[in-house]
Amino acid sequence: MAAVSGWWDDFFWGSLVVVELFFVALIMTVLFGLIGAGAKLSNSRVAKSIASGYTIVFRGTPEILVLLLFYFGSAIILTAIAQIFDPEIKFVDFPPFWAGSFAIALIIGSYATETFRGAFLGVDPGQIEAARALGLSNLQTFIYVRIPAMWRLALPPFGNHMLSLVKDTALVAIIGLEETLFVAEQAIAYTAKPFTMYIVVGAIYLGFSTIITLTVMGLERYANRHLEVWR
Amino acid sequence: MSKADRQLMIELENVDKFFGSFQALKGVNLTVGKGEKVVVCGPSGSGKSTLIRCINRLEQHNNGKIVVNGHELTGAVKDIDAVRREVGMVFQSFNLFPHLTVIDNLMLAPKLVRKTPKAENRKKAMRLLERVKIPEQADKWPSQLSGGQQQRVAIARALCMNPEIILFDEPTSALDPEMISEVLDVMIDLAREGMTMICVSHEMGFARSVADNVVFMDEGEIVESGPPGTFFDNPKNDRTKLFLKQILSH
Amino acid sequence: MSFDIELILDSIPKMLVGIGLTFELLFLSLALGTALGIFLLILRISGRWYLAAPTMVYIYIFRGTPILVQIFIIYYGLPQLEFVRDSIFWPILKEPFGCAIVALSLNTGAYLSEIFRGGVLGVDRGLTEAAAALGISVRQRFIYITSPIAIRLCLPAYSNDVVSLMKSTALASTITLLDMMGIARTIVAETYAPYEVFISVMVIYLVITWAIQRTFAWIEKRMSRHVRREA
Ligand SMILES: Nc1ncnc2c1ncn2[C@@H]1O[C@H](COP(=O)(O)OP(=O)(O)O)[C@@H](O)[C@H]1O
Ligand SMILES: [Mg+2]
Repeated sequence: MAAVSGWWDDFFWGSLVVVELFFVALIMTVLFGLIGAGAKLSNSRVAKSIASGYTIVFRGTPEILVLLLFYFGSAIILTAIAQIFDPEIKFVDFPPFWAGSFAIALIIGSYATETFRGAFLGVDPGQIEAARALGLSNLQTFIYVRIPAMWRLALPPFGNHMLSLVKDTALVAIIGLEETLFVAEQAIAYTAKPFTMYIVVGAIYLGFSTIITLTVMGLERYANRHLEVWR
Repeated sequence: MSKADRQLMIELENVDKFFGSFQALKGVNLTVGKGEKVVVCGPSGSGKSTLIRCINRLEQHNNGKIVVNGHELTGAVKDIDAVRREVGMVFQSFNLFPHLTVIDNLMLAPKLVRKTPKAENRKKAMRLLERVKIPEQADKWPSQLSGGQQQRVAIARALCMNPEIILFDEPTSALDPEMISEVLDVMIDLAREGMTMICVSHEMGFARSVADNVVFMDEGEIVESGPPGTFFDNPKNDRTKLFLKQILSH
Repeated sequence: MSFDIELILDSIPKMLVGIGLTFELLFLSLALGTALGIFLLILRISGRWYLAAPTMVYIYIFRGTPILVQIFIIYYGLPQLEFVRDSIFWPILKEPFGCAIVALSLNTGAYLSEIFRGGVLGVDRGLTEAAAALGISVRQRFIYITSPIAIRLCLPAYSNDVVSLMKSTALASTITLLDMMGIARTIVAETYAPYEVFISVMVIYLVITWAIQRTFAWIEKRMSRHVRREA
């Protein structure tokens, strides 16, 4: 562990990048998931088929492939555009942070699409009817009845999506983002201690997974507090 | 049969059973002689299932003594599977093995436990299916049968190990009303053939026609017991009276 | 920037050369991972804390860290340790193929044991009680009653895990293996045509995913014939 001592600050900054990447991608994931679920539940055949295509492609392709396609694909386009203005330019890339978070969000969003769709359909129609019968408006029913019920159903699978998401951030090191795995590689180049450095990375990710798991457990308890039995 | 030559098959002496701090059986005493039929009734949660589940040790009692066909079920039982072979059980929810056909449900235990030849097991299983009057369903899946048929298969399955005793836990409670009698008929036949039976049931007609002894339980205790004539017509305990009034008004 | 059809036609056969390696990685780690998953399950449900607790820690670690980090620890990290280099496992661990198999199997075993546990817990307790009441022993109950029913219950989750594993095999390309993904990355590095090459390989992966899903749907249908009602 002595070998790590000079690298703690780098690992710290690397972890911070993971956290940023996680939250940015999380927001986009929710967005893609909601759009996808909305499209799948809509009456438009076009929207439905686009959404099905989306989930089939992004759930059936290796994550690393999606990431590389996005990163190098966008670089090709950006370089071509840049060369219109200055033919001397050899390579312009999309910042790895944004290419990475976008690619990860598209992948996890395809899973979230199914989760949100399932949660929407899983709400007991009797509850909705009861709310209507009480004279709640469509919007009120949606906000006070459907959203809370959906959230209870979606929470456990969405917790798993968040775990996948945080773990997928490690892939972004492949396109050169300076997160923990990237830090480890640099540290290894100096110290020649690959086992030690990668174990540190593993421990950092285990910490993130633990935080997410505990948070989701807390949220689940909160969401299901009405089911608790009085003793 | 006089008391003297009564051969005891089941003996419970001061049996207590706890689930955590909750006491489900409180000092239960009960004896069942060979060939006798006992019907157990009582409100939901009174410990009827717990009582018969202790007899084949699906639950372990905490205090007291249970002796089944000469085997003492106290402390560490050496070969509980051997005891269970002598005691058949029929459940409220049938519990047929869904991944096996009807005949395979009957042939499984003989195959695994007795290791008798397949042809012999099959012949025996068919004979039992005839006894419960559904030989034509032998090769169907349980899910293709009606509730009454499934429960009759379950009775046949319990018989395939030649038990000396059969325990029934509310065998007709999960059935649609029109299927109850087909199951009770099979049970009455069994009773006539001299099987030793303990039956948790609220079917009073059945109890009157086959029971030697009716037992009423409440809150983990045996409150009252006696032959059906006295039990139904002259109950002594107030709780028994109330209970009988409630089920008869249904 | 145009779509180069000729390049696609040229590179698809090259990438298909790597499909053999992709399948080797998939089937070998699936077989080993399944065996490990069953082993972990048995420890987990043994009812002995000194067997169950280490199993839970193992599962927690392997599910809580990125598979990429696990691959790196095994391939780049382990050689740092002298006792690993001196051990009988060294012939396997010094080869990238061996490392990929070890990492994928250890990882998938952790996920599968949880899936299997879900299946076992899903088996109605009444069924094992009915078997117990017939005098069938604990071991025979597990083999003849619990297992067949649990297998059917966890088949959909198992199928999803096979797809995940298939996608993870693409990470073998990060430790120099030339599976389909590895070849695709090589071709992209040479031709600098990410769209053509990556999209072609994506299609191949999607076909494999589809084939896995069809196969399991077929198995599931066959195994569920006893729940189909004939009117
Ligand atoms: N496995 C168990 N764990 C905790 N409590 C139990 C368990 N089984 C039964 N009980 C409790 O024991 C009491 C008696 O149950 P049971 O024997 O099933 O009643 P009955 O069959 O008469 O309806 C009930 O209050 C029930 O809640
Ligand atoms: Mg009961």
